[in-house]
Amino acid sequence: MRASVGDRMVIRGHRIGEPNRDCEILEVRGADGGPPYLVRWGDSGHEALFFPGNDAFVEHYEHTS
Amino acid sequence: MRTIEMLHRSGVGVAPSQTIRAAAAIMEQAGVGSLAVVEGERLVGIVTDRDLVRRALARGLEGDARIDSVMTSPVITVEADDSLDVAYGLFATHGLRRLAVMRGDNFVGMLTIDDLLVALAEQLSSLARPITAEILFPHRDPAVPVAT
Repeated sequence: MRASVGDRMVIRGHRIGEPNRDCEILEVRGADGGPPYLVRWGDSGHEALFFPGNDAFVEHYEHTS
Repeated sequence: MRTIEMLHRSGVGVAPSQTIRAAAAIMEQAGVGSLAVVEGERLVGIVTDRDLVRRALARGLEGDARIDSVMTSPVITVEADDSLDVAYGLFATHGLRRLAVMRGDNFVGMLTIDDLLVALAEQLSSLARPITAEILFPHRDPAVPVAT
């Protein structure tokens, strides 16, 4: 998996009816855009390291800088 | 051979100095029941929602207590390239519900007993499908002709 700062990481719900979760990538800690990623969760502003598994995918955004 | 790499889910990591309150909020936001406690790149512990109840709330710890005060350490881990049989064995032996998945020295995610049960149910379902079809739509071989 590869991601860039500003991309959105989406984690699929694990149970029926459980919503997807998402977070914003603040830092890429791995080599060549790989994990782990420092992320910020939703509105809470809490930061954590994220290690994506098979339940996660990246939504890339165009970066102008 | 199915490996743990194919099944494990994402992992969420926090620093040992993270507060219990923040860790609980991250669990809620991320939709996970456990967090890896990582110092730099090194996995130093694991904390579950159950730990927050039993080791923090039940003992009257304040929300700003450090998460490493309630974590489990050392952590029982499994390699991402290991077969599912290895995970079955560890779950059965240690009575755990989650295992930290490693690739060498690096933490890469979590494997839950739910993940294994779902995989097992899928395997059983695919095994049962032809049998179910045979029961619902019996197919009889034509009778062997009798020599006269």
